Amino acid sequence: MVLYLLIYFIIILSATISVIAKKLINSAIMLAVLSIGVSILLFIYGAVWAAVFELSVCAGLITVLFISAVSLVKNDEESLSENRVKYIVFPFILIAIIIISSIFVPEYFLELQKFSTYNTEKEKPIGEFIWIYRGVDIIGQLTLLASSVFIIKHIFFKNKNIKENGGDI
Amino acid sequence: MNINFPLDWFFISILFFTGAYCMIVSRNIIKLLIGFEIISKSSLIAIITAAQATNNINLAQNIIMVMILIEVIVVGSGLALIVKYYRLNQSVDILKMINLKG
Repeated sequence: MVLYLLIYFIIILSATISVIAKKLINSAIMLAVLSIGVSILLFIYGAVWAAVFELSVCAGLITVLFISAVSLVKNDEESLSENRVKYIVFPFILIAIIIISSIFVPEYFLELQKFSTYNTEKEKPIGEFIWIYRGVDIIGQLTLLASSVFIIKHIFFKNKNIKENGGDI
Repeated sequence: MNINFPLDWFFISILFFTGAYCMIVSRNIIKLLIGFEIISKSSLIAIITAAQATNNINLAQNIIMVMILIEVIVVGSGLALIVKYYRLNQSVDILKMINLKG
């Protein structure tokens, strides 16, 4: 139970820091810490495959994507004047939300849990879920991956005939 | 492992609020995507807690894998669009995106 609360504390703390951090690169790194916390939580719940997927993709790939994007748009970071007053207010609103939700949310979900039906049968292995029970999802995933590849290819399309603007448009 | 279901949802609601706040107040588009990531993490924890309460962990793992894949696609495409927009207009401020108006 202590480990469980500690992990949630790390998750909330890293989310808070990633919101109020002034530099975008710190936000991206804190997002990676959040992902690591979530994957440890998944390990605790027994969802081992999902945890490995989360750790490799969210904590690895997405962080790399964020850091590379931040370094590409870095010149604008200082000139963009954000309204920092909103960020100073944030911890106070967060504490208010914590207090209010600690009164109402657990009680509501304790009531809601009574409607859930517990699966008493032995669960099927995960391979059967991926390939048979939700096998159609594979087609959707492949379509999405292909579409994202085409999106990125067309966004960074380079026309060699146009020399203006560095041939970028 | 039997863990308190309402306590989980208390933390999930806080995490969701954090992400939503980040998406509402920030002017930088990359910060918006970070808020989106935080919200998707909260929904991911929500799915696994619900699965744990009803003993459907393997089905939830499959759903989480699909969710993570969609998350990566959205973030990858979004960041590519942001970098392209920055190259064209030298800005990532969401208030300066007036020329995207129809």
